Amino acid sequence: MVALEHRIDQKADSRCSSSAAQRRYLGGERLFSYIVSGLGVSSEIALPGLIPDESGGSGAADIVIRGGTVPTALEGVTASGPTWQLAGDHFLLSIPGILRMLLIGGSEIRFETESAVSAEEAAIFVSGTGFGILLHQRGRIVLHASAVRVKDSAVLFCGPSGAGKSTLAAALVDAGYDLVTDDFCGLSIRADGSPWVEPDGRQLKLWQNSIDRLALAERRAAPVRSAIEKYYVEPRAATASALPLAAIYVLREARPPFAPGIARPNIVDAGLMVRNNAYRPAMVRRMAQMELYFQAAATIAQRAGIFTLTREINFARFPAVIGWLEAHWRELGLLERAA
Amino acid sequence: MRRTFWLASYPKSGNTWFRMLVANLRQDKPVDINDLPEHSGIASARGLFDNVMLFPSGLLTHEECDRLRPRVYEELARGAEQDDPDEPDTRIGDVRFVKTHDAWTYTDRGEPLLGGLGGAEGAILIVRDPRDVAPSLANHGNQTIDEAITFMGDSDAAFCGQRDRQPNQLRQLLPRWSGHNAGWLDQTDIPVHLVRYEDMQADLVDVFRGALAFAGIEISPEEAAQAARFADFGELKKQETERGFREAPRNSPSGGFFRRGVSGAWHDELSPAQVARIEADHADMMTRLGYSAPERHDERIAS
Repeated sequence: MVALEHRIDQKADSRCSSSAAQRRYLGGERLFSYIVSGLGVSSEIALPGLIPDESGGSGAADIVIRGGTVPTALEGVTASGPTWQLAGDHFLLSIPGILRMLLIGGSEIRFETESAVSAEEAAIFVSGTGFGILLHQRGRIVLHASAVRVKDSAVLFCGPSGAGKSTLAAALVDAGYDLVTDDFCGLSIRADGSPWVEPDGRQLKLWQNSIDRLALAERRAAPVRSAIEKYYVEPRAATASALPLAAIYVLREARPPFAPGIARPNIVDAGLMVRNNAYRPAMVRRMAQMELYFQAAATIAQRAGIFTLTREINFARFPAVIGWLEAHWRELGLLERAA
Repeated sequence: MRRTFWLASYPKSGNTWFRMLVANLRQDKPVDINDLPEHSGIASARGLFDNVMLFPSGLLTHEECDRLRPRVYEELARGAEQDDPDEPDTRIGDVRFVKTHDAWTYTDRGEPLLGGLGGAEGAILIVRDPRDVAPSLANHGNQTIDEAITFMGDSDAAFCGQRDRQPNQLRQLLPRWSGHNAGWLDQTDIPVHLVRYEDMQADLVDVFRGALAFAGIEISPEEAAQAARFADFGELKKQETERGFREAPRNSPSGGFFRRGVSGAWHDELSPAQVARIEADHADMMTRLGYSAPERHDERIAS
């Protein structure tokens, strides 16, 4: 059984603001400081979308991100794919034409961009893919999910790329629920057995079509990469506090045989859903963390709840889907019941 | 050692029927049409790319994805594990059949998009009379028949080619109905076995056995006949009517995937002008595949 990380960094409770990332000096270099999943991050490059550490990163960073020479291959490889190699606590990932990243022991991301690729262009791969895999490396429960705050709890929306996680979160933020995270979401099980969510980001990432359909043009910030029409979007409000997890919803499209609505799957299916919605299910398998995820799923099913949210993928249906969710949150006691 | 074969076709040409036949082989009752793998069952599935590469295709341009796609199919052909236990491959023994609507194209580095022999040992190419494809495509895409005919004649046509959103699959180039079939038939990278939808209807047992024999799988006439009964059009349509089909078109007025399942329905579904457009657009390939009636076409114009 792999030990879960129980540490909750109080820095994560610092107020979120829209100011630029705080910088600090370390060894003469100017560095950017962030809080990701409750962990202090010190980075040589700006990582838009992450939560800036307002304290300027007073303590030693848990994770260091720096540019440097990254090998094209590792020694002692135990698992590999066309673009990655795993060797002990070293994980090498190549995004051909853009950059290579070496993730070391869950505490360092070293990156080397391909010639003519700017750090700005490479940042999204470090802050998304790099961090997601780094959290796997740390033995964290990390899900492919967005999350919003409902009163004093967090609810998660899981699903593969394209399932509608970010657009649903964006619609909920507009409906008055603060953003907790987008894309990936680290969970920790505290000493008392309760699952908590550690915020990972403070901006949404939305495609232009979603920005248009959700009327968010005024909140659009920089593109996540200049080559694609996906943008950071400043949410109406975001929270940087750790929150108890109240529910996980696995997003599904309403197509036969799945009928629309919210349902509670049996515990076996729920366990598989959590594992299959790990940020990178292949990493869970390669790092032999299946048991960790099943245990977490059991805890989450018991202490919070795992549900399926099945709906048509259609912007016009958002008000109805938000209505289902609010009714469900009243049932779960997250919102006050209507008088 | 597993072996891979593409089930290649232009959309609405019988690919799903063929997959249903494979799924129903050596079964004792008709399989549920919703048990066919959907997400991982098609080469352009985004999840296949993301799971093999460990970074999201959604952060890449279509062109950047295309450059890497050969690596995905090579890796899968070598036997990379799938991560979704709910989505088994369509397979017979150690042979996997993977649906694709992608045209046979080359990356900007000159590699076959689908990985050449590294991606699959061969392809079963299913073709259908374009005059029957057009109304079916119109139904599937919730567009008019004229729009479908335009799409079939457009060199730049594609599925999932949008750039302002993340389509649910990787882009699939569909450079004209003729160009799509020519690409598969004329490439010399992998062997191709041609199957005509109309021949499947006329003599399913023989055509199915022939196609499987191409993939090195011998089945008896009785086994082929049994699969044919279980994947009979009436059975498929009955299941869809009763329980729905998850691959059915969204927002289509008729709502169904299994529509008529007959050949030659174009006689009462297309106007003479529509027939003439298709025949003019695709005359050479229609002749090559035995669909042509250019003389009648000329007569119609003359009359």
